[in-house]
Amino acid sequence: MSLRNSLIVYRKELRDMLRDKRTIRSMVIIPVIAFPLLFWGISKVMTSVMGEAATETAPIMVNGGTNSPKVLAALRKLPGIQLLPYQDDAKQEVSDKKIRAVVEIPNGIDTVATGSQSKQVSIGYYENDVKSEMTRDKLQKFFDDYRDGVARAALIARGMSPEILEPFKVQVKNVAPPAKVSAAIFGGWIPYLIIIFSFTGAMYPAMDLTAGEKERGTLETILSSPVSRTDLVIGKFLMVMTASVVTAVLSLASVGFAGRHMMSGAQQQTMNLSISPSTVIAVAVILLPLTVLFASMLLAVALLAKSYREAQTYVSPLVFVAIAPAIIGALPGVELNWKTALVPILNTSLVSKEVIGGTYHWTTMLMVFGMTCVYAAISLGAAIYMFNREDVLFRT
Amino acid sequence: MSDGLLIDVRALSKDFRTFRRREGVWGSVQNLFVRDYLTVNAVDKVSFEVARGEMVGYIGPNGAGKSTSIKMLTGILMPSSGEARVNGFLPYKQRRQYVKTIGVVFGQRTQLWWDIAVIESFKLLRRIYEVSERDFRERMEKFNQILGIQDYLYTPVRKLSLGERMRCDLAAALLHNPPLLFLDEPTIGLDVVAKDQIRKFLRAINREFQTTVLLTTHDLDDIEELCRRIMIIDHGRLLYDGPLDLLKQKLLRTKQIKFAVKDSEQLARVQSITRDGLELEQVDQLTYRIRFDRVKVSTSDLIRQILNTVEVRDLLIEDEPIEEVVKRIYAGEALDEVAL
Repeated sequence: MSLRNSLIVYRKELRDMLRDKRTIRSMVIIPVIAFPLLFWGISKVMTSVMGEAATETAPIMVNGGTNSPKVLAALRKLPGIQLLPYQDDAKQEVSDKKIRAVVEIPNGIDTVATGSQSKQVSIGYYENDVKSEMTRDKLQKFFDDYRDGVARAALIARGMSPEILEPFKVQVKNVAPPAKVSAAIFGGWIPYLIIIFSFTGAMYPAMDLTAGEKERGTLETILSSPVSRTDLVIGKFLMVMTASVVTAVLSLASVGFAGRHMMSGAQQQTMNLSISPSTVIAVAVILLPLTVLFASMLLAVALLAKSYREAQTYVSPLVFVAIAPAIIGALPGVELNWKTALVPILNTSLVSKEVIGGTYHWTTMLMVFGMTCVYAAISLGAAIYMFNREDVLFRT
Repeated sequence: MSDGLLIDVRALSKDFRTFRRREGVWGSVQNLFVRDYLTVNAVDKVSFEVARGEMVGYIGPNGAGKSTSIKMLTGILMPSSGEARVNGFLPYKQRRQYVKTIGVVFGQRTQLWWDIAVIESFKLLRRIYEVSERDFRERMEKFNQILGIQDYLYTPVRKLSLGERMRCDLAAALLHNPPLLFLDEPTIGLDVVAKDQIRKFLRAINREFQTTVLLTTHDLDDIEELCRRIMIIDHGRLLYDGPLDLLKQKLLRTKQIKFAVKDSEQLARVQSITRDGLELEQVDQLTYRIRFDRVKVSTSDLIRQILNTVEVRDLLIEDEPIEEVVKRIYAGEALDEVAL
């Protein structure tokens, strides 16, 4: 092997790539423009949906309560709520989104009845419908307050202090640092994004440098030059890896920029993810062998194809192979243990998630890094092996 | 290996394993599970030698084994059996040292990089082949003189015409001044002017640098203009290896005489020229072509007869086009009469 020759090949491929508009488009322009646009769009839609839900006067229907005029009167006065005459198909109306909720009020809830069974107010709503859920919350609060009012009045009427109702309060407080909190939600998605970007970034050049070269017929000419096949693979591999890393870095930077500048203040708060430079370096180191794995795996697979089009059919299924572990790793609750540490891609995703959350388990990190290096080495070996096989290079 | 010998090929063979494809939809489904493998002898025990300074034409129909031979001789493919020693190397074993001593041009493909300017490809090749800066400048100047490539050195390859690209490819292949040049279809797709330029250049480098050239081609004009020796391969076997002239002499069965008569009064007299193995054809009003078997009819006798019979304004003796000969060889005509 000669590093000098590998570098010559690398520089040649790099120059060729930089002059190819398709590469620049897929590697630079799309991620850099797409993400800010995407975030901006999502942010706009979210803001408008939430805003609309918050300002809407929600139509509801109430069944019963005819002998509790006070509660009905209070309900009518509740801002943002409009009482419609009850119909028998009220539940249907809710699921048709014509009204936001239906309330069943039993008889006599204005008064406290002693000795009888506790009465039940039920609120029917449309789960996961933003507007219906907001109405539900509003109604629930209204009835909670109303219940407390009734109870308080009853206690006072009997000469007792209403304090009895609430002998103590319960306060729930998050004590984990905000960075870790958002890391738990978003920490998994950052490695996921990096994995996807570094994979897709490597895809195009890997196909172009193998099957594309076969198609153009330039493979024979490079094979007849005094560059060994191993040097050739290494040079091409370095190029694919460069593309992979550049795409990942640019895409991430773009996501970061978009997250910071394209989202509304409230949305930003839930994404309050502060990542220190040391975390960035740690994640980069952990992910590096993965890009080696991707680049060499893609080269080996794409080399099997005779044409660019054929290469695409081989490489597309690999996207799922790469994405599936990345998605699993991003799911909350999936944690690193000795079993998951052996699964390529998944282990890297999980370790990065932990690191972003501020947890450094050095032994597992080292193990995952080592494992990925082993997988990457096997894959690179496979690529070199493929390039040395005549029947792969000149498939008929 | 004697001193003047550049290529020494002994019983070189290359087998490919492929599978028989069944017909129809059901056949295609069967193909997915069961495959009947066949071995194809792309090159079958080919032996030949090429001496320094020779220009040898290597011809054969499509799929005859030309490109496979060239790929073995350039170290890209490994022979299945036999041996090839080129420039003192075993191409497939000592590939990296070996290829520094050869130049290769594949006519349908370019070794120049598609999206970058020609000069940058040259500079890269200079580094790959470790050519000194001085030699590089000298040779570039030479190529500019003979090939006239200076005008498009800064153009990306994809914008060059085929002829321009081929000239650049030739220059690239000769950048490290190899004693041996392999050309695979160097004139394919070129117009007449470009073909002529390439041929002139090849003659020039052969004359000036004693560069040995082995070229495969479909264009027999290439052979006639460049090579004194040809090798004919078909179905992987070498059918003929020898001087082009000898092949013509032995296998050119027919000749033709084209002549123009003075005036229309001669027409009736022309009809009286008849002999066994002779075919008369009127080309236009005053021009005739006589095709004849040169074994049965002596050319000089025939000419004498024509001149005695009619008043001739112009006369031209032509050989059968070499294409016809080659076509007959491909069609399986015995080459027994020609010493192999």
